[in-house]
Amino acid sequence: MLEINSIRKSYAKTTALDNVSLKVNQGETVVIMGPSGCGKSTLIRCINRLTEPDSGEILVHGQNILELSDSELMEFRRRVGFVFQQFHLIGRLTVLENVMFHLVLAGADRSWAEKRAAEALEKVGLSGVHSRKPEELSGGQQQRVAIARALAAGPELMLWDEPTASLDPILVWEVLEVMEELVRTSSTTMIIVTHEVSFALRVADRIVLMDHGRIVEEGHPTSVFADPISEIGIKYKKLLAS
Amino acid sequence: MFSFFRDGFYKDFVVLLILTILLGTVFSAGIAWALDAYFGDTLNEMIGEYGQYDIILHIQEDAKEAAFRELERIQEQQFPGARLSETISLAGQANFFFGLPEEFRTKETMTNLASYFAAVPGLTGHTIISDPSLLIRNVHGSVADVLAEKIEQIPGVRFTFPDVGNIIVLLEEPSLSRTVEAQVNQLIDEYQLVELRFPMGFEVDTQQVGAQAIQVLKETLPGRKYSNVTAAQYGEDLNAFLKTLVEMRDFLMSYASKVRITADPEAHLIIGEQIAIQADGAAPLKEGGLLTDENVVIEITAVSGGTAEGMIIRGEIAPSMESLKQTGYRVFSDGQIARPIGEVEVENERYRLAYAIDESLRLLEELEVLSVQAADAVDNADAVLNTFQEALLQLEVLQVQMRQLNEGIAGGGSASSEQLLMSLLINGLFQSLAQAAMQAGENSLDSLENLDVAAMRASLEQISSQIANVQSIDVQAIIRQIQYVRDTLPMLGDEEIGRSIRLINTYIAGQVIPGERIQILVEEGSVDEGQVEKLLREHLDNPYLNIYSTSVGVINPDARSEIIRLLTEVRAIIAGLLAVVFTSAIMILDHSTLFSTLKYLKRAGKEKVSRWKRLLDPVYILGGILGAVILGAVYSLSGAQIPYMSLSSITLIGLIIGILVACFAERFSPVNAKEVMAGQALGLSNVQIMREIVIPSSRPGLMNFLNRWKQQF
Repeated sequence: MLEINSIRKSYAKTTALDNVSLKVNQGETVVIMGPSGCGKSTLIRCINRLTEPDSGEILVHGQNILELSDSELMEFRRRVGFVFQQFHLIGRLTVLENVMFHLVLAGADRSWAEKRAAEALEKVGLSGVHSRKPEELSGGQQQRVAIARALAAGPELMLWDEPTASLDPILVWEVLEVMEELVRTSSTTMIIVTHEVSFALRVADRIVLMDHGRIVEEGHPTSVFADPISEIGIKYKKLLAS
Repeated sequence: MFSFFRDGFYKDFVVLLILTILLGTVFSAGIAWALDAYFGDTLNEMIGEYGQYDIILHIQEDAKEAAFRELERIQEQQFPGARLSETISLAGQANFFFGLPEEFRTKETMTNLASYFAAVPGLTGHTIISDPSLLIRNVHGSVADVLAEKIEQIPGVRFTFPDVGNIIVLLEEPSLSRTVEAQVNQLIDEYQLVELRFPMGFEVDTQQVGAQAIQVLKETLPGRKYSNVTAAQYGEDLNAFLKTLVEMRDFLMSYASKVRITADPEAHLIIGEQIAIQADGAAPLKEGGLLTDENVVIEITAVSGGTAEGMIIRGEIAPSMESLKQTGYRVFSDGQIARPIGEVEVENERYRLAYAIDESLRLLEELEVLSVQAADAVDNADAVLNTFQEALLQLEVLQVQMRQLNEGIAGGGSASSEQLLMSLLINGLFQSLAQAAMQAGENSLDSLENLDVAAMRASLEQISSQIANVQSIDVQAIIRQIQYVRDTLPMLGDEEIGRSIRLINTYIAGQVIPGERIQILVEEGSVDEGQVEKLLREHLDNPYLNIYSTSVGVINPDARSEIIRLLTEVRAIIAGLLAVVFTSAIMILDHSTLFSTLKYLKRAGKEKVSRWKRLLDPVYILGGILGAVILGAVYSLSGAQIPYMSLSSITLIGLIIGILVACFAERFSPVNAKEVMAGQALGLSNVQIMREIVIPSSRPGLMNFLNRWKQQF
């Protein structure tokens, strides 16, 4: 479904991505892990062109998305759900509006969009907060709203950019629970950037380890963590053992 | 970056721009117009509507009721149908408008208009406000008539009339004002008034020197017509005041003690420096010591060779008829006494004057007594003279009798025996006595008779007459007046006089005190002021001569037109300032949102650029263009006009405002990057991001307001 070939991205004197290539199959859940600043978020943002890579190609169903026109890019993005680390909800809109507004703006009927939004909210366990403003919710709830927003359009690809990183540790579980449920019940292709090793072990079809802008190791979770070949993999193994 | 405008947002932007310009124009012009209308109405209330009135009469506030009654009488009796109303009072002066009916607006009436109101109680002045008119101020008397005559030939001029040194040109139509003004200016420019000013105290024969100057000008700058039109204009208050000050200073200088300094050869005295002398009863001065309050300080006012003159500016000298001679010491500014400079001689003129007056009073009193005593003496002399004359007559009779007796004794013959006996008895004795007596008596009488009693009496009468003349003089009156003069002499000490003189000098030093002046009218061409000054200084041999060239009159619009013009200017300035304020506000409230969004989008994923490259940032360029377009358009459309600012200057200001707003856009209207990024990730177009995410969260402004119609959430 997704094929990333030799993409590079640099910021001033820092190389964020260095000749990264990755293939993701339809319905596969790929978890990307690695130390902070290793290029995980840059990689995931390049996939929907929130960040423009300097070179390389990103093929989705064989089409290089780096060559899409503005309107084609918009169309592509509507098929990709993105969950940000810091929720990125629209502060002036209610929870329901946050989940439905992009559907309406994409041309959907308002009542249909409202129904879809309600379903998505129910799926993440937030049925009773439709009319609240994001600021009235806890961090975990806000992230669940963000997940519902991403899910509402029925994306074929979900990109998760460290969805629990900004949460209070005691709220992390509620988001992970939702995510795990989604992975379990949905056939959507998912690429998840996270530091949650145990979560990765539970949900990942494949784990990709990155370090210094490169993919240093990838494979099934058990093989990566049980018999790591990269320095980062070894560290994760030790972490699991501890 | 500018692809941002592609997907429909450019339409929103163009609409916003057009509405911004229209709103800015309405805002700037509207407020300026409202202010203008307000001031215009206020003005109408103050000075009446255009053409309604002809004269404002300024009346003392306390006399305004009486004045109003008199004005009503004038209105009723002399100008039936005239308009009369009271307007605001200012600074203790009430003001009344008086408007003549059209049939009275003739040259004759207008020329004498002020005289109709001369008897109005409390009248302090007037201002002619007839409309439409032009006012030519300060018209020189020498050309006033000719100029008025020529102006009346100009089409559109109804007539002219004089008003306190000015000429008022009454027009047929207000619209002709500019064309008539241009032609009047041309007429005025045909004349030039060259004024020769001599320094104060410089007495000149204005006719003679004027003729001399004209001759010089004719010879050196021919081709023009020159005439001496000197007019005495010393009645001005300032001139009179300054002259009085100078007179007062001269009086004080002559009244002050005279100080003469005979300087030592090595002492170089300078005007203005201070010399100290020992005061009466004070300790002797010492070189190197410090000046004390007891010392007398003299300021040098004139230096000539080895001598100098000065005046006492501190301390007093003892009153004396004698000159005070002391050694003078130079004094430094810090009060330290320096070396002696020579002998200082001080004469107390005030004391001498007071002494002379006292002595005069004594003399007069003595004179009065003396005249009485002299009159008595003359009377006594006259009585003595009378007695003397009688005695002399008796002596003459006795002499005759004695002669007869002598002759009787000498003859005998026919005498009786008693007579004979008597003759015998006294023949021997008396003959010798009688002869002796007769001889002596004759001699004395001869000499007494030779005295000119008549002449003596005439002399006495003359003396008596002169004494009577002296007595007829009212000596008491003279005494009273001299006492009055003595009593009214200023009770000023030298120090006070010195300070007063210095104060007067300080005041008049910066003033140009008009001395004599000569005015030369130049026709059929003009002359250069500098050239004439150089020429006349040389030919009249006076390096202090100054030349001023002036016009023979200055056109001023009438008071109302001037105020209306000012109001129009104020309106244009206000509109201009409001345009700048509006542009700044709209750029900050609306466009800064756009700039900050563009900057965010441009920054995303891009490398940092150098400071110099940032100056060429397209966002800054866009900001500058927007600022220039908005301000330039609003400024032009609102009819704004700020003095000394052309449209290009204003456009430049707009450019600067735009660039500054673009530079600091994130501070004015920070964009919520997370929300924008969410919009991008959700597949929203740029226009949707702007309408649904950026603009609704931005500061309230026109863009925000307009967006509400298109905003779905």
